[in-house]
Amino acid sequence: MSQTPPPPMTAHRIFVMLAAGFMVLLGGITALLAIDQHRAMVSAEQLQAQTVPEIIRLQRLARNLDHLRHEGERIFSATTPDARQQALYLVMLVASHPGIQEHAEAAEVARATEAFLTEAVRRSGGEAGVDGSRLNEWKLISGRLGLLVDDISVQSAHLAANDLAQISETLRVARIKLAAALLLVIAFLAGTIHQLSRHLIRPLERIDHALSSLDVNGPPPEFPPTQLPEIHAVENAVRRLHAAQVNNEAVRRELEELANRDGLTGLLNRRHFMASAEAELKRAERYGRPVVVALADLDFFKSLNDTHGHAAGDRVLQAFAQLMRDSVRSTDLIGRYGGEEFAFLFPESGVEQASALVERFRHRFATEPVHLDNGVAVRVTVSIGLADASGRPLEVALHAADQALYAAKRGGRNRVMVAGSEE
Amino acid sequence: MSSRLRALLSCIAAAFTAASGTAASAAPLNVAVLENAPPMAYRDESGQLTGFSVEIARAVCAEMAAECTFRTMMLGHVIDALAGGEIDIAAASLLDTPERRQRILFARPYFRSVTLWFARPGVQPGAPGVRVAAVKGSAQEAYARRQGWTTIAVPTNGELGAPLIGGIAQAALIPMNTSIALLKNPEFVRLGLDSTVMKAAELIGAASFGISPRRPELKEAVDSALERIERNGIYERINSRFLPFRVR
Repeated sequence: MSQTPPPPMTAHRIFVMLAAGFMVLLGGITALLAIDQHRAMVSAEQLQAQTVPEIIRLQRLARNLDHLRHEGERIFSATTPDARQQALYLVMLVASHPGIQEHAEAAEVARATEAFLTEAVRRSGGEAGVDGSRLNEWKLISGRLGLLVDDISVQSAHLAANDLAQISETLRVARIKLAAALLLVIAFLAGTIHQLSRHLIRPLERIDHALSSLDVNGPPPEFPPTQLPEIHAVENAVRRLHAAQVNNEAVRRELEELANRDGLTGLLNRRHFMASAEAELKRAERYGRPVVVALADLDFFKSLNDTHGHAAGDRVLQAFAQLMRDSVRSTDLIGRYGGEEFAFLFPESGVEQASALVERFRHRFATEPVHLDNGVAVRVTVSIGLADASGRPLEVALHAADQALYAAKRGGRNRVMVAGSEE
Repeated sequence: MSSRLRALLSCIAAAFTAASGTAASAAPLNVAVLENAPPMAYRDESGQLTGFSVEIARAVCAEMAAECTFRTMMLGHVIDALAGGEIDIAAASLLDTPERRQRILFARPYFRSVTLWFARPGVQPGAPGVRVAAVKGSAQEAYARRQGWTTIAVPTNGELGAPLIGGIAQAALIPMNTSIALLKNPEFVRLGLDSTVMKAAELIGAASFGISPRRPELKEAVDSALERIERNGIYERINSRFLPFRVR
């Protein structure tokens, strides 16, 4: 039973999660604000629909209670029984009005007022005025009415204040929530940018840098560990690109070698020798340095081929090439000029020095036998023409060396001739 | 002016005339008010209809931006006229009773009232041999009939005192506001009547305008207009003008 590994945290998944997180965050904030707005609207509507009518109702109640007091005063100040009866009648109407009866405290005070005033009027009978001794008691009742009027007036004012306080509290909370929500959004965005920078932008910058400084001669690019598989894939691609470049360079060099070398002897071919020699001559001329060219030709090579076969000829050519490679400096150029003919260029050498070198070389080749594949040892000699190439075009120098070679052949072979001394 | 331009202008003018004609052709509302029912509905010195109910009705019409045609009517005809669509609104203080509710629509209450029993001292409601005066078609009359009392029906509120003064009735069921006006009549005061607030539930409470059941759409408009004049202070001014205390 193998357990399924959790899916890797890909950039796609991360972006989907970030977007989802942001949508949830924004949705939550919007919902919170909508709730607060709804609450404020409900409070405002309540103020309009319920509180304002309630305030008007309380104000009417206060006015009616005040009216009771007013009619009471009229009873005490009236000079005729009819006027007192009229005032008392209004007291009765106001006290029994549903507007007062529905308010418990007002109803109780109104009943007490009506009872007191009814009794006062009854006792006064047909007199001109109400008994003055009841005035003090009336003042108490009147004061009670006055206080109730004040209380109800204040209560009505407070109704609006309560609603407004509720609205402003809702708005205050909404403001705090908005500020908190903004901070949350900023924190979320900052976190997102930081994570994007850490996991995406900086790795991409490193990849960009690695790509722009990719060097076939340098080591493969190094990357710090990364979590995103996409980035990892790109980094691996960069590594593979570097490896491919290194490989291509090696192939290119190999191809270059194949193009520039002679297949049998491994020496420079004629074309490449000429190009290299041309460059070397220019360099020597620029710095005023001595340089010498030489042409060598194996003696009686055709008869060697005829006697021992082409394979033997090839073996001799290889042996000669090996001997030359072993004998010259690394800066000297040697090329197969054609058939059994070889060309040399000795930089930083005068004619004498080069002449001594090739002389040693001629001698050594002439004395060391070449062992053929069939076990036969043959001795082969070489003729060499030498010419000073300092300050001369290559063709002219080589022509001079060729003339010297011709002179060496003519002079009996197996010898070195320097151009200009062959006469 | 070119003839083309003139034609265009006359077209525009015709369109305006048509539009204003449409607005004007919206039939004016037929509003019934009571007559001789001070301080709710009566004619002032110059013969103009006025009173608490009349002025509230005027304010409601203005608030609705409706053209209203006022006509006077006896209370006894009001319910039939509403039910039959003869009138659209009855601007009278109608107490909400089940019988009326079956036939008409009630607007939002515009004041609260009580009913008073006026009688010679010692004459109790329902006492045998007592004839009770009430306005014909009123909730008070219906109540008295249900109680099995002998009733003297008068056509208007203003005439409620007459049967008592004339000795035809020994008692009367008088709405609160009417009683205030009656007590200004020295003849009535001289009778030395006792007054008692009636406790019967159907005689106490909210009084409303009636609306014809054939114009149900008017109810919302009238209710809303009433609410607005309560909020904007017009109602309170009318209250102060006609009545000694707050009646809502």
